[in-house]
Amino acid sequence: MDSQKLNNILSKVRADYADLRYEVKKEVQLVYSGRELTQISSTTTDGYVLRVLKKGGFSNVVFTKEQDGENAIRKAEENALLMARYLDSPVSLAPAEVIQDTYQPTIEEDPRSISMEEKLALTRSYNLRPLQKEKIVTTQIQYLELVREKLFINTDGTHIREDLVTTRLGGTITGQDGGLTQTVRVGTGGSSGFAPLRNQEPLFDEKTALALDLLKSKPVTGGSYSVILNPDLSGVFTHEAFGHYSEADLVEDSPSMLEKLQIGTLIGHPNLSITDDPTRPSQLGFYKYDDEGVPVRKVHLITQGVLTGRLHSRRTASRFKEPLTGHCVAEDYRYAPIIRMGTIYIEPGTATFDDLLALMGDGLYLVDALGGQTSGENFTFGAVYGVVVKNGRMGEMVRDINLSGNLYHTLQHIEGIGNDLVLSRLGGCGKGQTNIRSCHGGPHCLVRGLIVGGR
Amino acid sequence: MEKALKAGVQAEIYFLVQTSDRIQFENGRLKDMESKMQSGFSLRVIKNGCLGFAYTKNLLDRDEFLDQALDSLKGKVEAPFSFPSGGALPSLNTHDLFLESLPNTALVEEGNRICDILRTKVKGEINISIQRSIDTLRLLNNQGSDHSLHSSSYYLNTSLLFPGSQAGLDGHILGKGFQSFPQEKMEFLQSLFNQSLKEVRPQPGKMKTLFFPETLYALMWRIQAGANGKNVYEKTSPLLNKTGTQLFDPKITLYDDPLNDQQPQARSFDDEGVPCRKYTLIEQGVVQNFYYDLFYAGKMKNPPSGHGFKSAMWGGETIALKPRPALEYLYLKPGETSFWNLVKSINRGILVAGVLGAHSGNILNGDFSMGLAPAVYVEDGEIVGRVKDAMAAGNIYETLKEVVALEDQSHPTYGGTFPAVLLDQVNVAF
Repeated sequence: MDSQKLNNILSKVRADYADLRYEVKKEVQLVYSGRELTQISSTTTDGYVLRVLKKGGFSNVVFTKEQDGENAIRKAEENALLMARYLDSPVSLAPAEVIQDTYQPTIEEDPRSISMEEKLALTRSYNLRPLQKEKIVTTQIQYLELVREKLFINTDGTHIREDLVTTRLGGTITGQDGGLTQTVRVGTGGSSGFAPLRNQEPLFDEKTALALDLLKSKPVTGGSYSVILNPDLSGVFTHEAFGHYSEADLVEDSPSMLEKLQIGTLIGHPNLSITDDPTRPSQLGFYKYDDEGVPVRKVHLITQGVLTGRLHSRRTASRFKEPLTGHCVAEDYRYAPIIRMGTIYIEPGTATFDDLLALMGDGLYLVDALGGQTSGENFTFGAVYGVVVKNGRMGEMVRDINLSGNLYHTLQHIEGIGNDLVLSRLGGCGKGQTNIRSCHGGPHCLVRGLIVGGR
Repeated sequence: MEKALKAGVQAEIYFLVQTSDRIQFENGRLKDMESKMQSGFSLRVIKNGCLGFAYTKNLLDRDEFLDQALDSLKGKVEAPFSFPSGGALPSLNTHDLFLESLPNTALVEEGNRICDILRTKVKGEINISIQRSIDTLRLLNNQGSDHSLHSSSYYLNTSLLFPGSQAGLDGHILGKGFQSFPQEKMEFLQSLFNQSLKEVRPQPGKMKTLFFPETLYALMWRIQAGANGKNVYEKTSPLLNKTGTQLFDPKITLYDDPLNDQQPQARSFDDEGVPCRKYTLIEQGVVQNFYYDLFYAGKMKNPPSGHGFKSAMWGGETIALKPRPALEYLYLKPGETSFWNLVKSINRGILVAGVLGAHSGNILNGDFSMGLAPAVYVEDGEIVGRVKDAMAAGNIYETLKEVVALEDQSHPTYGGTFPAVLLDQVNVAF
């Protein structure tokens, strides 16, 4: 990467502050649909993102070609001035440390040094396992390797090179029996290279068995339930229902939400602590610097039920007068960064799984997430399957589970927190941009009063 | 193309230039402005029945680009098709010069105008998103196809959020040129908003449910999955062997019409160069056709239907996407009842103004189980208030068997052009 080229572009900006990020994105993709390989590609793409702060207006331009640099500068300056004219109060950025660093993450087996033949062979072998079963009618299994080679410079003098390497291998397994079709997700991945993708045969076999079991299960009956969420669902709940509202940019212009989310407010059950910590090594959400050149740090969002932190960009940290956290991240060279969770999880408690079952009495044990969404205090997410629990005993399996609840009610009704902690190996948060390194997790948790949609 | 032909392969080049400006208002104030100038190429090659693929943003080295595509042939991805030959296509009016030349100031002023009007009428938070996009596409292949398209689109969405939440009411316009956000849309939003402000908690159960056009995509996704040539080929579609069968209410007629250039980004060819046409999927409740890209048409030994688009459920870099069967221009034929008469006809039920988690659940099976954000509760034809934390669930192959009525006009939305649809006996949980 040629930082001189970037410096040349940035030196032409006439503004109070500017930064420029250049990224090369290398992507390898293999896709099997059923028994057929339907995609194999290995490609390199690149592009620039310029952000300009001028007279209190802050704007960005995304461009592909180096020769468009001057045009991009003109447009960014114009947009910034236009914004400045209409803003009530000028934008300012919280001061950030000037950093000059080159950082390469620790990788177990660099996927770039593994041959395409080997990647193909591993993907094919996992894909074939479910397809051997009679009632498994199709699969969609993808190998994805995504390397972002980033160079960030700003007019303060920061200069950072950092690579992010993401791998994943997984997709869906679809079973069919008569008129009933059931699809389960399967997969693994992370930020630490190719090694974690190996030896996953038991995972693929387990999910295949699950797809077959679901064909024999009954739909859940709708209603209000006590539920035990498994770690994946605890994580999705934490991410969807609460996490998004710890992102300062989502609440800053919503006075009525902000009023409820003041730092120091008792918001959750006294047992509940929620943390975002992308610095935890070797997990999916790991990074060192965000896409504003700010070092990321651990943030205690809820401590024993009390709201204690928020995730920030330089702009929102200044507006809220709260400390920088380093959570302003872009999907790739096509986007300016926005505030994102990194690795968000509920801190583990002391209860064993059996303790939680006993404490719940009657309810549902729910396993693995099927997507989720939020609209402020109201959230929805799906579960792959559930088990009916009566008197603390596990009974029959049920399917077609979608949950809905109210953020504030739910945070206060997380009555039991397990002593385990599992972080997700696959991510995919779509807040305008997709963040495939969005990592979430938690222990098993007992929650009272969630609505199950049923059929 | 010359280099590819010398290498002895069939080739297809897809070249896309996109510029866009996006302006966002939050809580009635200008929040963000972003411009993009992007371009890129994708290249597909076919040799000995195998398909190769490569894409790039900056075409720095043409030989290397071709080599990448040739190299990917080693994976032996089957190509059960040839690229289509060229021919005359209908000429469409897809571009509005005025929109392209409009300065961003004008877009900001439009947003401010809407905020100023609504602020005096409602006590909710006002969010507005405005996007102007200009696309230039060229698609050529070795069979003589050489298609070009220059298109513009303008999108404006106004949301009124209920206090303390991010659930609200949306009104949007989608067109190929600039249009002022109509007064009647603002009046509709403010009237519905003010009537729904009160929180209510009625008895859950099976009830009448009126899906707004903006939420209908959630049900349509299920039908789209069923009619998708991929799922038909893989024999996972519930519509398999059901063509000619009455599966839905006779009021349901669903078709795809890429040629309608009243709507933005009309197309006479798909992303594989196959001519587009008006294409009926369901006629008066009877399943008519499935839709295919070149790959699945080839696998099924059917002629391609012109539905190969480089699209994905969650966006993505267009040039990086492989074409897949997609309905990008969906229309549901409107009915005969006005929106407010639909509301008046509800003795007890809800209006679904927004859905959450429409992507969850067993889509292919036709199941849906969605959060409602918000659900507006109606009793004896009158709006009583809104229900928080509600869910609606069912299966389209049951709930769409009987449709009470459809609105008498259609509205362009991101998922298609739809009327509001009134269903009965939908399971609603609070």
